[in-house]
Amino acid sequence: MQTISRFSVSLFFLAAIFAAACSKEDSPAPDPMANMVKLTEGFAAGAATKVQVYTEQATIQTGYTRFYLTLTDSATGKSIRDAHVKLMPMMDMGTMKHSAPCEDPVTEKPADGVYQGAAVFIMPSMGGSWTMSFMIHNHLSNKEGTLTVPITVAEPAKSTLKSFTAKHDGQKYFVALIEPSKPKIGINDFEIGVYKRASMMSFPADSTMRFSIEPEMPTMGHGSPNNVNPVHQRNGHFKGNVNFTMTGFWRVHFDAFQQSAVADTTQYFDIEF
Amino acid sequence: MTIALGFLALASQGQHGHTLSMDSSAFVQLGEVYLKAQASSPRQKLVNYYRGNPNFTLEDIMARLPEVSFVRRGAYGMEPTIRGYSGGQINVLVDGMRIYGACTDKMDPPTIYIEPTNLDHIQVQTMQSGSMHGSTIGGTVLLNMAQPSHADEGRLHANLSSGYGSAAKAWYESLQMHYGKGRWSFLANGTWRKSQDYRAGGGDIIPYSGMKKLNYSLAAKYRLNENLSLKMQWLGDDGWNIGYPALPMDVGYAAARIASLSIESEKPGHGWTDWNARVYANRVRHYMDDTHRPDVPMHMDMPGLSSTQGAYAEGTRKTGTGGTLRFRADLSSTFLTASMTMYPPNEAPMYMLTWPDHRKTQSGIGASYQQPLDSNWQLQVNARIDYISHRLTSEEAKEEVSVLGYETDPRSDFLKNLSITAARKLRPGSQAFLTIGYAERMPTGSELYGFYLFNAQDGYDYIGKANLLVENSLQAETGLRGKWGKGGDRGLLLQYQLTAFAARLSNYIIGIVEPSLSAMTIGANGVKSWQNLATAFQTGGEATLSGQLGKNWQGVATLRYTFAEDADGNPLPSIPPLKTAVSLRFQPGAFSAQAEWEAAAAQHRFSTRAGEDMTPGFMLVNLRFGYTIPVAKTTLGIQAGVDNLFDLRYHEHLDWGNIPRMGRNIYAQISIRL
Repeated sequence: MQTISRFSVSLFFLAAIFAAACSKEDSPAPDPMANMVKLTEGFAAGAATKVQVYTEQATIQTGYTRFYLTLTDSATGKSIRDAHVKLMPMMDMGTMKHSAPCEDPVTEKPADGVYQGAAVFIMPSMGGSWTMSFMIHNHLSNKEGTLTVPITVAEPAKSTLKSFTAKHDGQKYFVALIEPSKPKIGINDFEIGVYKRASMMSFPADSTMRFSIEPEMPTMGHGSPNNVNPVHQRNGHFKGNVNFTMTGFWRVHFDAFQQSAVADTTQYFDIEF
Repeated sequence: MTIALGFLALASQGQHGHTLSMDSSAFVQLGEVYLKAQASSPRQKLVNYYRGNPNFTLEDIMARLPEVSFVRRGAYGMEPTIRGYSGGQINVLVDGMRIYGACTDKMDPPTIYIEPTNLDHIQVQTMQSGSMHGSTIGGTVLLNMAQPSHADEGRLHANLSSGYGSAAKAWYESLQMHYGKGRWSFLANGTWRKSQDYRAGGGDIIPYSGMKKLNYSLAAKYRLNENLSLKMQWLGDDGWNIGYPALPMDVGYAAARIASLSIESEKPGHGWTDWNARVYANRVRHYMDDTHRPDVPMHMDMPGLSSTQGAYAEGTRKTGTGGTLRFRADLSSTFLTASMTMYPPNEAPMYMLTWPDHRKTQSGIGASYQQPLDSNWQLQVNARIDYISHRLTSEEAKEEVSVLGYETDPRSDFLKNLSITAARKLRPGSQAFLTIGYAERMPTGSELYGFYLFNAQDGYDYIGKANLLVENSLQAETGLRGKWGKGGDRGLLLQYQLTAFAARLSNYIIGIVEPSLSAMTIGANGVKSWQNLATAFQTGGEATLSGQLGKNWQGVATLRYTFAEDADGNPLPSIPPLKTAVSLRFQPGAFSAQAEWEAAAAQHRFSTRAGEDMTPGFMLVNLRFGYTIPVAKTTLGIQAGVDNLFDLRYHEHLDWGNIPRMGRNIYAQISIRL
């Protein structure tokens, strides 16, 4: 009996010491790029800045793609945390060139030193070649420069980008599916980015559309209850909820309106998980 | 209201009686009669009467109790109902243990785990009298398993039976063995059943109605001293390819394992009459299967699991005032999960939880106090409180339930059941009683969390409602029971029991169409969700007459009727029509002959909402013969007979899909007792 209690007492102390040792240890700041894929790195000529470009997936596909940049002063080797960064995707089809919707980093002074932007590739690389330009204005050195890299854009099995010519104004709109990126049974965030083609070089975000969504399992012919239509947040991002009652192949229909005018009622995203 | 007033009048008379007479010796005996009558005696006679047919399943026997009807989805695995109360409205306990089916389609009620050879006795406690074992509005079926007996020191007793029935080409084999030595006694049971698709009246073969099943159990009892014994019990039940012609799927494999350890005291003294305590665990796995069905749009797997652990203690005490107090304290914890996976070609499998993982934890105490007031009056109070909590146990389950818009936090409910019975002796051997009570019952796992469960009867997918209210009932039951005649060699001894009952249900739980939701199941009519209906009403009665008609003749006659409707006058579902059964047995010695007549009126009061339709009436005749001969040191029994003599094509009102029942079935069975 005594042996047992002595044993348990020493166990208790051991555990306490171990816990104390653990809590004293400095936990290193989590690496913001831990789960990212390094796409490329290079120098923004003129800005004396080394640019490292990360994406979430190794393969870039047609649709909404986030880019994560870290900047280093190539002279001092120090991380740059005060800069103005602009993104510019460009498609060269030989006879013509066009850009695509893109989002510049919101902040010029990111705390973790990661500049996050996005581009919406509106076609795969098959019809031409994509490049991505990252324009850097290093506020500390007040130098400017650009890194341009080639990008290979593949067409995904289930498209996450839809475009239509709106019935009410004859303009071309692009709708990119942003969430759910990891669909699950239950309530999923439903987020889309909406862009209007103003010119071949300008694709501004649109906040004027109104959407209604309806998920369906085409194989079964049923939907799901309590979905929430996406409403505009900012920068052309619309957020709502889509509910999946089971795994499998879902088709999320979305109808687009402007005020009471119908823009398009034939579009859908296919989501399979 | 009249009933309540009437009761108050009786109760006040009772109080007077108590002050006037302290002589309760005559009453104690009456109390015992009453107790047994209430719990088992006349019903047990019925059970024993029908248990004479060894190839009967427990379902066959129970269906002959006037309070019990079965919802039939297949030839086996029928769901018991008491006076039209079903599912979560009633309790079905095996040796006091809670067992929950693992099938979302109710293919596996606990009654399938008990073979008649395993059965010691059945108690059907109607309405409130069943609340001691669990909050219930409809009653409780107690299935008590056979006990190891210590009849013959050091000698093995065995009973071997083998039988065949023509309508389903059904084979039945069973072996029962008793052994006792020293402080130990053992009981082993094994039953094997195999049947093919059966032949309905008129000749049609009903596809997907066959089954294969093995049931085996072992019980060991160790006597600690004269009054105290320990008991270990283990039961296994495996079923393969059990067909459910009224459902779109069958059972591929189902397995139940039931284990318990108990301590029992028979005459402990110190005011106790008996007590026992038990810990138990059971686990049911269930796999539905559609691979034998043609024209399945898409193959699907539907596995389910139910796992329960629990404990209870119960006992009986005599009080100083000549009363009897029975009590029971129990707790149990049940985990349920079921899922469905479909395999469309060239697509990701479609998977969902049909029972999102959830755990029900229940603890409760029940008591029944019986007090004689004078030589004629007796009062009984039954009370029970239950604390029941439900919680979704996995993130996946919570996320799925949240799709329906419900809170996924745990819920807990406090359930109260109370009833008071006044009984009066009218003359020796006869008694009238009146019970009024208030009862509550918990919604079931399916009613709370069920996720698009297809109901083949009405063709709707059912979704649970996590915030359903507790269903409750105000109820009254009155009756008269007694004996008439002297019995003896030439005499007549009749026992009769007449019962009438009524209940007003509030928050009655029923499926209501949700027009905005789309059905999950291909071809389903739509979606229904479980909802609380403001009120519903149920009433009816039963009459049983049984007895010895002279030296060699025995007879049983039962009559039953139930009427139930909601506040708008719509009949409630699963309400059996007027039904009667008369059975007469002639047994001049080793030979016996028995004729049965069963008749049901047409049921015109059906629930269209629940997918029911009019069920025509029918009349059946069954004949049974038995002969027992001693051969050497053994006893040989031969039974043969014919069910549905006139090969009538019929179905009962609670049968899903109007699937006709078995046609003429000629059976024979031989049993050897060693």
